[in-house]
Amino acid sequence: MEGTSTKGGVLSLLSLLEVQARSRRHVPPQRSRVKELRAEAEALRVRREQLKTEIQTHQSLQRLRTSLDRQSTHDEEEEEEEEEEMDEDSENSQLLKLMARHTRVKDLLLAHHLIGGYDIVKTRHGKGVCVSVATAYEGVCLETYNLEMDLKPTLRICRHNVPPFVPLSSLAEQGDMQTDIRAFLETLSQHLNAFAGRKQQLKLVKEQHKTIEVMESNALCSILVLMFTVPKTKTAILCTLNYSDHTACLPARVQFECDVKEILESTEWRKNCSLLMETPLHKALMTMKKMGNIV
Amino acid sequence: MEDSTRRVLQRLIRRIPTPQLKTTLEKWSGMTVAQRGSMDYTQTKWALTEKLLSLCEENDWTTKHITELEMIYVIDNPNQGMWHGFQLLDPEDDAHSVELTQFKEQFKSHLGELVRHVSVKIKKHTDEAVWIRIAWGDSFSRPNHLKPTYVVHHLQTPYVFVTGLTSKQKPLLSQALVLSTRHHTIKDANLSGRKLTAIRDLLMKQYQQVFPTNFPSPLAEKNETVSNPKIEREQAGPGAHRHQMACEAFGDGMLPQLQSAVYKLETKFKDHTNRTMTERDEPFKCIVKFESTNLLESLRYCAASGIASTPVTPLLSSIPLKGRNYFVITDNGPGPSSQMHQSQN
Repeated sequence: MEGTSTKGGVLSLLSLLEVQARSRRHVPPQRSRVKELRAEAEALRVRREQLKTEIQTHQSLQRLRTSLDRQSTHDEEEEEEEEEEMDEDSENSQLLKLMARHTRVKDLLLAHHLIGGYDIVKTRHGKGVCVSVATAYEGVCLETYNLEMDLKPTLRICRHNVPPFVPLSSLAEQGDMQTDIRAFLETLSQHLNAFAGRKQQLKLVKEQHKTIEVMESNALCSILVLMFTVPKTKTAILCTLNYSDHTACLPARVQFECDVKEILESTEWRKNCSLLMETPLHKALMTMKKMGNIV
Repeated sequence: MEDSTRRVLQRLIRRIPTPQLKTTLEKWSGMTVAQRGSMDYTQTKWALTEKLLSLCEENDWTTKHITELEMIYVIDNPNQGMWHGFQLLDPEDDAHSVELTQFKEQFKSHLGELVRHVSVKIKKHTDEAVWIRIAWGDSFSRPNHLKPTYVVHHLQTPYVFVTGLTSKQKPLLSQALVLSTRHHTIKDANLSGRKLTAIRDLLMKQYQQVFPTNFPSPLAEKNETVSNPKIEREQAGPGAHRHQMACEAFGDGMLPQLQSAVYKLETKFKDHTNRTMTERDEPFKCIVKFESTNLLESLRYCAASGIASTPVTPLLSSIPLKGRNYFVITDNGPGPSSQMHQSQN
């Protein structure tokens, strides 16, 4: 039994070997494979070089950073030393220096933000202080507001550039500025940041959504009326956003008005309502556009 | 068409300078495109007026149309007439949520209750300002459209700017404003001028204020020829300091174009050589008036260049700080009408 099967097996094996031997003569595909591999190796080598230079840049950046940090504490003692080391490729080194300074400034800004974010400067030989409150929205630094205060006989705001529609005096009264200036500044900062955020959102809406008409807005950006158009039917929908909480960037109430009542009763528009209440306006509008709810 | 409408139109066209006439008429909805095209602005004012009067007949314009046209012109050219600043005080809790439609309704109804014949037109300008035109009448006469009062208010702010208001109308307007903006009182802000933009910017702090800071913004480079570098360097320090002080007092960049400041002195005359004057019981009264095309700019220059001493005296820095240009100065101490306690040195 075994003999017969091996006999057939040998023959088939031989024919297989023959096929293999023949196919071995076709070298070209193999050669292309080699080429491929070579190219890949080359690419990898280039990448390695890239990474190497990146590491180098990073290291020199790090070095520059530490020297910058040292300088700021030791008052520019070792500046000369560093200059010598770096002047071989002046254009690059300047760029590196700028980058190092940039990262440093960014870190300082973050630290500044973490400790409360107020700049306080003594004025009139210690008789007063000037506090500045910075505002930002979505990582973009916006307006900075200042308050100049008398310290004696009681703490009193004598000059400021807070817009007139922010109720500064009532905030100062409510927050009991005399005993807890931090809490007062905190509330003021909330008001100003929320105002800056709403204003920025409105600006972005006007820039990004040309098809949406801003019918009504006010200086405090606390009331906003927009006009949407529903695609296909071209129905107009009036949307009123009411930001009654002046310390928030999101509306407290969203209202739609439309001649075709059925549209507003659909689940889509119910979702849109909650979307507008939970996401920044320009982003919510973007989503509504993508969903095809508005033009 | 009524005769009064013709008169209002005539008067208005006379007021508008020919170059502005075209732009004003184009913004107005009273004329058809063809009618607008048929206007020839190279003609004399008289001919233009005749043409508009005939169009008035043709289109059957009412006083409402003409006042609309007048508002367009006044809103675009606000720096005319004498504007007075007012400040609303003691806001109610809901003062910050007053919105336009609500304000419009309230203002009209409150004023309508006070004066029987009054015509009120309210329009919102693109810069969020609410413009109110009031033509006053009384129980016997109809609203006089030839002498309207203009009121400009920015909602949610305590400031109101008024022009063309008589003392008889003042309490009426005050009451309507106080009620419709949800405040308790209104007071004269002691600020007036021919330029609405200037007094608005000054009161609403819409100019570049400078504050002491650790990180002064880099000053704009000056292209001055350096005559003597050493002297320049020596003077640069105090000069920069004076400049900083001047800017802290008056602001940086373009300043509101205020044209005058008035100081009414009711003080004791102090001069040992002149006994008759010094021993008088009545206060020594005099008025000091500063006038300039741009008063704040002049004052800032005086302080920055060293003509006036720095830090700037509160008498001058009070103009931007308090947002007023009318001061009554009395001697410190018991005085009945001391509006501003400021010792005069």
